[in-house]
Amino acid sequence: MELFLQQVFNGIMFGSTYAIVALGLTLVMGILHIPNFAHGHLYMLGGYITYLFVATLGLGYWPSLLIAIVVLGFVGIIMEAVVYRPLNEQPHINAFIAAIGALLVLESAVEVIWGPQGMRVPNPYPHTFEFLGIIMSVQRLLVIFGAILLIVLLHLFLKKTLTGTTIEAVAQNREGAMLNGINVNRVSSLTFFISSGTAAVAASFIAPIFVISPAMGAIIGMKAFIIVLLGGMGSIPGAIIGGYFLGLIESLGGGYVSAAYKDVIAFGALIVIFSIKPTGLFGKKEG
Amino acid sequence: MITKPLHTKLLYGFILLAALLLPLYVPDPYMFQVVIMSLIFAIAVLAMNLIIGFTGQASLAHAAFFGFGAYGVAIMTKAGISFWLALPAAASISALIGLIIGPPALRTRGSYFAIVTLAFGVIVWIVAGNWVQVTGGHNGIFGIPRPTPIPIPFIGAIEFFDQPAQYYLVLVFLLLTLFIMHRIVYSIFGLTFMAVRNNEPLADAVGINTFTTKLISFVIANFFAGLAGGLYAAIIGAVSPSVAAHLLTFNFLIFLILGGMASLAGPVVGAFAIPILMELLQDLGHFRMLFFGVLLVATIIYFPRGFVGAVRQLNDKIAARRQAKS
Amino acid sequence: MRTLKCSSLGIALAFFTLFAVFAGGAWAEEVVIGYTGPLSGPAAQYGRDCLAGVELAVEDINRAGGIKIDGKAYTFKVASYDDMIDPTAAVNNSRRLVSREKAVAVFNPVFNTIAAMMQINEQRGSEFLMMAYTSTPALDKIPNQLTVAIPPPFAAYAIAFADRAWEKGWRKGAMVVTLGAYGDEWRKEFRRVWEAKGGEITADQPANYYTETDFSSHLAAALATNPEFLLVGGPSDPTGLVIEQAKNLGFKGGFMMVDQAKLNYIVDVTFKGDITKMNNVWGVVRTLDLGVHSETQALIDRFVQEKNIKVPTSENFLNYSAMRILAAAMVKAGTVSDPAKIKAAFNEVLPLPVEDNPIMYVGLQGSRLLVQASIQFIEENEYKTPIQSFWWIDDEKELQRLVDMQPPEHKVHRRILPLEGYVMK
Repeated sequence: MELFLQQVFNGIMFGSTYAIVALGLTLVMGILHIPNFAHGHLYMLGGYITYLFVATLGLGYWPSLLIAIVVLGFVGIIMEAVVYRPLNEQPHINAFIAAIGALLVLESAVEVIWGPQGMRVPNPYPHTFEFLGIIMSVQRLLVIFGAILLIVLLHLFLKKTLTGTTIEAVAQNREGAMLNGINVNRVSSLTFFISSGTAAVAASFIAPIFVISPAMGAIIGMKAFIIVLLGGMGSIPGAIIGGYFLGLIESLGGGYVSAAYKDVIAFGALIVIFSIKPTGLFGKKEG
Repeated sequence: MITKPLHTKLLYGFILLAALLLPLYVPDPYMFQVVIMSLIFAIAVLAMNLIIGFTGQASLAHAAFFGFGAYGVAIMTKAGISFWLALPAAASISALIGLIIGPPALRTRGSYFAIVTLAFGVIVWIVAGNWVQVTGGHNGIFGIPRPTPIPIPFIGAIEFFDQPAQYYLVLVFLLLTLFIMHRIVYSIFGLTFMAVRNNEPLADAVGINTFTTKLISFVIANFFAGLAGGLYAAIIGAVSPSVAAHLLTFNFLIFLILGGMASLAGPVVGAFAIPILMELLQDLGHFRMLFFGVLLVATIIYFPRGFVGAVRQLNDKIAARRQAKS
Repeated sequence: MRTLKCSSLGIALAFFTLFAVFAGGAWAEEVVIGYTGPLSGPAAQYGRDCLAGVELAVEDINRAGGIKIDGKAYTFKVASYDDMIDPTAAVNNSRRLVSREKAVAVFNPVFNTIAAMMQINEQRGSEFLMMAYTSTPALDKIPNQLTVAIPPPFAAYAIAFADRAWEKGWRKGAMVVTLGAYGDEWRKEFRRVWEAKGGEITADQPANYYTETDFSSHLAAALATNPEFLLVGGPSDPTGLVIEQAKNLGFKGGFMMVDQAKLNYIVDVTFKGDITKMNNVWGVVRTLDLGVHSETQALIDRFVQEKNIKVPTSENFLNYSAMRILAAAMVKAGTVSDPAKIKAAFNEVLPLPVEDNPIMYVGLQGSRLLVQASIQFIEENEYKTPIQSFWWIDDEKELQRLVDMQPPEHKVHRRILPLEGYVMK
């Protein structure tokens, strides 16, 4: 029972990371229909920016987190303008190739600057304690509650502010939004800013518990991609539920069935779900 | 039937002649090796072209099927079965697996089909690394025999230890693949593929069974992917999960898009140009992948139809200018 | 007038070039040593560490005037290419190194790529010596006349660890080792050895150390079976993280690390010098204790200064050694171009004088270089005296002979550890 609870705790923590990363991606994919396969690499870069400010420049953890959000936000804007905007009229597969190019650039740039070895961001809250037989650390709780806070804030932004509602409008109906005089390019930039910024938050949250390395973005990027399609492109609840779902499947499946085949369980579930419901769990009919 | 103009025929004839005489002028074993590998990749990319370029279904499990072929040949030839039996058998297994996973996967469309096949590819890759009894785990299978020698009466036998023999072997298979692809694409059959790609509801409305059409294309593509994998295993002599990895799929995809989709020349051009480019970029050291990434983005922006598309555009421009003059 | 000036300048240039060419002929001839390995991507650090070892050895040899064969001087040059652990790229690189740059030996540090390279290294007309840096015992089963394997087979470490764990009274172990060819074999081997002793493996939770960022679910599952020790390891950084997370989850038992993870790297880099975090951990001997302290320290310093490596490890040292041995074998064989003859000379030049190479390689048997496998324990905030295992012998007399070869000031415990398939009858 203790093991089960421990794995549920771990699963929720993974799930929080997945949910935030997938959230950013679903905005981009839903609004701009861009298969941003490099999203995981933006997350990775977020980890390194945090490292730069915390470990190298000696700034505090929270200021570094804020800086990482802003820096990544602008990287996202640049990426949209340089890589994806020129490909607007082209088939998705071309944007996918461009995304591969972009992720190669991000990964090798980080490798050139910081080297290929893993690195650690000093942990601001290393304290661990036991609760109901589950071993927790403050930083891990921070990941979980920070994620919830971020999700709530993002929700309020999208529903209650004018800028937020324009984003949602474009997500729901691009042509309609254009007819209503919404500047789609501006919305694109803004969406990329939010998307990359949230990825940076996820990375900054978990960087102190993990080792950061240039390759850390590839797997999580692919998983986020899968969560987004599973939850339905552009569906925010879909991304959140999908994220927690995947986190739990992985930690329970990995803990109880087989660690080596852990990812097989997650990817296998995806195939089964899609072959039953070809547009994803929360997908609209034919996107 | 579309007939090519004379100068195009001459060009193809010249390329064929150059290919047949290549061992006479290839500068060294290094370049020869790159050429042999490119021929194998060209077969795999032509297969990918059938399902993605002509039928419009972005299968991202292509390397998994390449892997089935590679592991198939590796396991069978290590068990003493002749390469000449193992190769078609492995390609058929690859096609058969395509036939099994095709129906559920093809229920999905567009990006969803891409992600389902990608997930399948990742599963195959993981299983290849962990099913130790069959695949040898992450170590893979090594010491795979070269293709079984072909006995020729009175002369002896053709063996496949040296590069020229390996080269002609894969060249024959590439020409065979090109021939079959050509027959498929320029048949009524091929037209239905393209009809499905261009407008699925319309194709459906005019009485094409779109599901069967997509499935047939998927199975044929996977047969040739398996064939290429089988050749790879016998030539390189060692297979490990990397032959089934999604990274290899992405490589094939890059070859395909940059070479030019939905043409027969494009995949071959891509399968040669990109590996050769990567070899040239070796001198950049740590900046190699950085440079390649930038190049990839720039190329896709400025030449979205790849090399073949760019040449066609140029041709059209010249033709338009000529017309304007006369 | 102007043309005259130009042409006279041209003549001068031509003479200068001619002179340079002739003068060049009088200089030492350059022998190319090839290297192909992961220089970018997830395993890049490992690949670069191995390359740095070869490079420093070459720089040292060149600084001392290169080598002389029949009165002719030769210097070395390393040509390196990235293969990202792709067999196709590794074979391309080997072909390039051998046919274009005339390399006689090619180093590679990953079994998957080595296996593909071993398919072409005996091809007539383009032979090369395969310098294989892999501890995977599978390599020794591939028949190949032109391969030299550099590190000890890891089966030696597996047995040495199992023996120490048994001595400590531990009976239940769990494994959280990296996935991949190397990790898989390690787990298999350790399980075999441990269960043969009568021990129990309570959980096997492999994790991909290259792509996984959190190990808590693997560890929670493993620790739930109440093991007395954990076998962990993969690349050093995540291995340190695994140890830290296991301790955070309340684990009080011991650790054993597979040979890819390095004690001193984890202490100095991952934990920033805080050795207390590594108490109760067994691992492969730290770099300093690979040989006599004065000699190894000097080499460590040079890796730090000249190759800009923060914490040098055995990857650096063993590849350094192999390059030194290779050069000595060329001198002995009297050739820089015949790989078969060079390999045949390996046994005649070993062991090398300590000032050339601080690690005691004593011979070559089949494809495998003979070097003791040393492990070490960290306890009470200090590195304990290392334990050397001699895995290719089975009698005391031979052990004494080998011990006599070693410098007396090298403080170690030595044991015979006959390894099946390696002991010559």
